[in-house]
Amino acid sequence: MELVYPAAASVIEFSNATKTYRSILGRSVTAVEDFSLQVAEGEVLGIAGPNGAGKSTLLSLLLGFLRPTGGSVRILGEEPREYVRKNGIGYVPELMTMNPTWRADNALTRLATLADLPPAEIPARVNAVIEQLGIGEHRDKKVKALSKGNLQRLGVAQALLREERVMVLDEPTHGLDPVWTQRFRDIVEGLRRPGRTVIIASHNLDELQRVADRVAIIDHGRLQRLVTTGYDLSADTGGTYRIAVASGAERVPVLLPSARASSDGEFEIPFTDVSELNRALGSLIVGGVLIASVVPVRSVLEQQFREAVGESR
Amino acid sequence: MSGNLGRYLIWQCRDFVRERGIAVLLIGVVFGMTVIAPMKMAAAASATPMSDRMARQLLMIVLMQLSFIASFIVLNGLVSNDRKTGYYRFLFSKPVSLPAYYTQAFGVYFLGYLVVFALLLALFVVFVSPVQPFGPLAFAAIVFLSLGGIAFFISSLFRRDWVVLGGVLAGSQIISSVWGEAPGIRGVIARLFPPFGRLGDVMEGLVNRGTVEPQSLVWLLGYSAVFFVGGLIVLRRRPIG
Repeated sequence: MELVYPAAASVIEFSNATKTYRSILGRSVTAVEDFSLQVAEGEVLGIAGPNGAGKSTLLSLLLGFLRPTGGSVRILGEEPREYVRKNGIGYVPELMTMNPTWRADNALTRLATLADLPPAEIPARVNAVIEQLGIGEHRDKKVKALSKGNLQRLGVAQALLREERVMVLDEPTHGLDPVWTQRFRDIVEGLRRPGRTVIIASHNLDELQRVADRVAIIDHGRLQRLVTTGYDLSADTGGTYRIAVASGAERVPVLLPSARASSDGEFEIPFTDVSELNRALGSLIVGGVLIASVVPVRSVLEQQFREAVGESR
Repeated sequence: MSGNLGRYLIWQCRDFVRERGIAVLLIGVVFGMTVIAPMKMAAAASATPMSDRMARQLLMIVLMQLSFIASFIVLNGLVSNDRKTGYYRFLFSKPVSLPAYYTQAFGVYFLGYLVVFALLLALFVVFVSPVQPFGPLAFAAIVFLSLGGIAFFISSLFRRDWVVLGGVLAGSQIISSVWGEAPGIRGVIARLFPPFGRLGDVMEGLVNRGTVEPQSLVWLLGYSAVFFVGGLIVLRRRPIG
């Protein structure tokens, strides 16, 4: 399988990366196994997988918090820890473990200091990310007084303090309300730069479908599939669409025997390719059925995810 | 020291004051009062002022115990706290070297500890008896540095470092008292443990004569320094996650 994103040079490279945890008693658990993938400059890569699939271990390998027990991980040709020590990475961890006694704005100021922002720029930059993430009214609060959602926003804010070349976001919308989940997608869109690589691990396939260029589906620590997102209908191999009918619903089963009524005025139509879907819709319209909407029951990513995870379990 | 880490010093100082410094100061005051107050009351009851010799002996009693307790509190969790709590995720996604970060933290904690002891000594001078501050302060520094390297190494290796450090301290005291003077293999084993037994001589020399026997000092600090370097190697080679 060709794993290099074709548009640009590779920034991150996993080569047969393996991480096995061994206990003192000799028991071992392999969290990541023989994982190979290259991520290109300018790419937004999603990582999806069920709980315990190895996503967080994979990201810890990428940040140099863990070392692979086999294979290698490189960022621009360097060992991750060495790269991070020299350059830093914009990182939103899944677990928002920040010192509870720090005040929100002080936490950003001290992390901006560690991020090596010029001292004169720090106050303005801190104010900017506070405003961007909408936590202005909580800036004087201690971390322990923040709600889960605000703490998550603080975690995202600290990752945006500096223009990083590599950004790693582990479940970044975890705990965010729907409004901020939507805003976060805009923030990620705003993170796109020709020279920046963004990696997002998430359970939320809809989110990955919207923000990522490709999604690596992992399970049991292995790369199961690499899916290019977006609705490329020419490449679509089929699925199920849900149609909502405004009038003439009684004629749908007659005109289209494969249609299955899912609820009042709604039908699910399985199809094998796009032309078949269009023929089916055409026959309904010609037959006097007034169609209100047509939506895929599952996205391409969701379908691939179910197939990949189902196959590996 | 890189620029960003140098500028982060102020935040480490702040952390020390809030998380350790005030606690050690309060413990020092309470501990000092429980030992010194009865002696002062006895001296007052007998209408005889406390002699310089008695004041020095009192100081030695307090200093020996308090410097160990304070060092233990200050050094506890130096590295392991960030690992246990997961704070490392935010700190070390920034362009920071782990060994440099914790070496700086060690330095800040050492200076903070000395400031706390200077304050405690000032209280002793004001409320008990005037003493030369150099000897007691130097002894407190030696205790911290003797324990520091070992604590640093243990903290870089173990999440529950205080348990291990407590075990090492207790073990070295027991082995030293049982096999300290023993010939052969037992004596060799006793000498492999931290040489805290030499601190008694060091304190006696510093507080009473203002001098210290170089061999004991070299042995104490050298032993600790070897472990400190070991801790730096662990931080460099072992992943923190």
